[in-house]
Amino acid sequence: MAPKPESKPKNFKDDFWKTKDIKISIGEIDEASGVIEVPEVETQGPTPKPNITDLRSWDMKLMGRYEPFYAPFCDMCCLCTFGKCDLTNKKGACGIDAEAQQARTVLLASCIGSACHSGHSRHLVEHLIEEFGADQPIDMGLNIDIQAPIMMTVLGKKPQTLGDLKEALDYLEEQMIHLLSACHTGQEGKSIDFESKALHAGLMDNLGMEIGDIAQIAALNLPKGDENAPLIEMGVGTIDTQKPVVLCIGHNVLPGAGIMDYMDETGQEEDLEVCGICCAAIDISRYNDQAKVVGPISKQLKFVRSGVADVIVVDEQCVRTDILEEAQAKNTAVIATTDKICLGLPDLTSEDPDKIVSKLVNKEIPGALILDPAKVGEVAVKAANILSPERATLKKLPDLDEVQKLSSECTECGWCVRVCPNGQPMMDAVVKAGEGDFSTFEKLYLNDVCYTCGRCEQECERDLPLMSMLAKVGEKLSKEEKFNIRAGRGPAQDVEIRRVGAPIVLGDIPGVIAFVGCSNYPNGGKEVAEMAKEFLERNYIVLTTGCGAMNIGEYRDEEGKTLYEQYGGEFDARGLINMGSCVSNSHVVGATIKIANIFAKKPLEGNFEEIADYILNRVGACGVAWGAYSQKAAAIATGVNRWGIPVVLGPHGSKYRRLYLGRADKVDSWKVKDLRTGEVMEGEPAPEHLLYAAETKEEALPVIAKLCIRPTDTPKGRQIKLNNYMDLYKRYFGELPPDVHLFVRTEKDIPITYKKDVQAILEEVGWKPRKVAQEPSLMGMDGD
Amino acid sequence: MANDRVIAWQPTVIAGPKQALLVTPETAELMIKKAKRPLLILGPLVKEDPVLSLATGIAKKWDLPVVTTADAYKAFNEKGLEPTAYGVVEIVNLLKDPEWLGLKGEGQHDLVIFLGCVYYIGSQGLSTLKHFAPHLKTLTICKFFHSNADASFPNMKDEEWFNYLEKMGTGG
Repeated sequence: MAPKPESKPKNFKDDFWKTKDIKISIGEIDEASGVIEVPEVETQGPTPKPNITDLRSWDMKLMGRYEPFYAPFCDMCCLCTFGKCDLTNKKGACGIDAEAQQARTVLLASCIGSACHSGHSRHLVEHLIEEFGADQPIDMGLNIDIQAPIMMTVLGKKPQTLGDLKEALDYLEEQMIHLLSACHTGQEGKSIDFESKALHAGLMDNLGMEIGDIAQIAALNLPKGDENAPLIEMGVGTIDTQKPVVLCIGHNVLPGAGIMDYMDETGQEEDLEVCGICCAAIDISRYNDQAKVVGPISKQLKFVRSGVADVIVVDEQCVRTDILEEAQAKNTAVIATTDKICLGLPDLTSEDPDKIVSKLVNKEIPGALILDPAKVGEVAVKAANILSPERATLKKLPDLDEVQKLSSECTECGWCVRVCPNGQPMMDAVVKAGEGDFSTFEKLYLNDVCYTCGRCEQECERDLPLMSMLAKVGEKLSKEEKFNIRAGRGPAQDVEIRRVGAPIVLGDIPGVIAFVGCSNYPNGGKEVAEMAKEFLERNYIVLTTGCGAMNIGEYRDEEGKTLYEQYGGEFDARGLINMGSCVSNSHVVGATIKIANIFAKKPLEGNFEEIADYILNRVGACGVAWGAYSQKAAAIATGVNRWGIPVVLGPHGSKYRRLYLGRADKVDSWKVKDLRTGEVMEGEPAPEHLLYAAETKEEALPVIAKLCIRPTDTPKGRQIKLNNYMDLYKRYFGELPPDVHLFVRTEKDIPITYKKDVQAILEEVGWKPRKVAQEPSLMGMDGD
Repeated sequence: MANDRVIAWQPTVIAGPKQALLVTPETAELMIKKAKRPLLILGPLVKEDPVLSLATGIAKKWDLPVVTTADAYKAFNEKGLEPTAYGVVEIVNLLKDPEWLGLKGEGQHDLVIFLGCVYYIGSQGLSTLKHFAPHLKTLTICKFFHSNADASFPNMKDEEWFNYLEKMGTGG
């Protein structure tokens, strides 16, 4: 589709807002009555509802600085019947080259991820409208006026009711169709344009997440930016296995909410345990703080194998696709609840609940598909009540002496280690267990060092049930797994942003760091908690969501306290803020947008580029997705990047095939325009990269600190940021970072504690002080 | 399996028909001798002895400029190698640029020897260079077969690997 002429970013001038106080009335024609409804007059920026190409010039500016870096995961393309085509220094039959193919794959992944969040949000919005009505107001509480910052910036309008969210969904679904279409053979041909489309898909993802989370916050009364959200019990050890247990896996709150509601309505709230894995756990506990959190997806297979759950309820995303087979082996009933995951089960949505229960407990069916959350609640609770006593005598795992006997069958072929994504020493664990020493198994169990993907088991030539053996060895340890997590609080309050906006932009608060994403960690979840602790102690604002938020809760200090018990939930320095589930990642972006709006008075409506430019140059935020594995994580990060926020991935992140890396040695790429004077001047590599994969935690820590540096830091703020960067670098590298001179603009930037050392470096490299842009910007450059 | 030694250590990193050439220490040495501007990249898996010393011995014997990745810098700096620290993705990004003047500013490298990077991120970096750096060759001397390299040692147990590394260097 051709771009709309009125929304071309090239028409945007630096003094646009000062000289052209354009006011546009946006109205909607009610087709039935023909009445034109004119809501409040809004100041509209240049790109409301941008089409694919409308923000392309911004993307090109970003990629001019942060060139895509490709690492093909596969040399071939196998998407059409011309192929397979080998793209190693060759073009494919359709003419595509390896760079474009990588970028196409990234676009595809971003479309998949974005579709997941948006599909989830579409379900939520439709269901909640059905339940509460389209006029249900979106009220995020007294302290949140900017309640949908992404929507306001991208669509150019503020949603007032649940019904308004449908317009946003309609818009993004149209965009998604065009984006997915571009992946077809013989469509886009250049990597740089695949990238621009991937960035657009990422933006749609961020929008879709926001729609979903504000819908559920508003309609289900989840915490509304509550810094004192309750602490939720977390960990396998918190679950009373004497009670019937219902386990929810996935991301959609509705089935879990249905279960909690049914228990409340029937007075059974004390009688059963409802627990969750992955984001379903977080969102159910936002809905009802009696729900318990088992933990991140790294626990999925070992917890299912432990047989604790009497009923497993799956909704959508990140559910093991063999969940039915695994559950059947433990005599656990399965209820599928969304159209995304039907598992071949009969659709019993219209069936009487008692009949479904009867079929489930009598094993007439292996599970049921029920697309009505209220009915899911009734069936899950009734089935768990019946199954629990029956299953009490069931042997769920091999005994320890059986584990030892099984282990002694190991042929030591070593393939379990080779197929392990992290090369963890499974063979060593088995060999030692054969001798009665379970210590290596225990090391693999603790902190989810083994995240139970089960590939080792698939490879074992003796068919040893390695995951069950791991679950058995960890059974005793799991009883000690009693942690907590602060319930996801949702967005930052406007009043909080007003308080921290200046210290963040000036650098007094050294950065906002968001630990997000999945649990595909190289060395278990503990590293995430350790990184979060490091930055909390250094006065950063630490945000978190999803599996990362759970891993952070699993860490206890010397006094036995979790980080959530040690640090408050306010959006401020040394605050540890669990924003919520995957869809709550939108509030990480939202907080940075609010800083531009509340602190800097930048108008949001239809004004994407100016807002992103502001965030890139002035808001010292950095995302960390240490265990990112999914297409959703790819989409989130790509969207976040388009807003100008850098992201650090763990080593597995290199498999996403594309990073955005800056080149500090290319001085011209860091030029900025000072909007105050109009002068184009030399800048600094801040932030140096937009999407980076670190090999180890020790590499990541100083990189994260460095990526919080921004050109607008005051000398005091820059000293604080450099001090953190230098401290961390020195700890792991033994000396000061060799690039420190790049971030010293004048001598006032040098941290006092390192003054002599830095001065020596400056002298050695022939450093000279340089002029500092007052309002650094990428806008107004490169032909704008 | 008979060919266990020359299947990629993590077999699913096999990316396509082009596979690394299996090399012995002698062939690896010939590659270094033939190169005009070789570069040794040392990762975090070799920052402890005995491979720390063995790797140092190779760098010294062949007078190789050294880049360390992750936090391997400290250990090799203490060994007197005067390495330069980069993230593995950063150095690969520089190596794929034909215009980059190399570590010494004398021109882009024509042979890059990898040792001790985390296997799968190393494999991704090798894939980048396989596809986008026709101006250089890659050689891996880890104890793992790297199918994305141009030339690689086979999968080995520690003892054999130490012998290989010792043959290539001064023993530290």
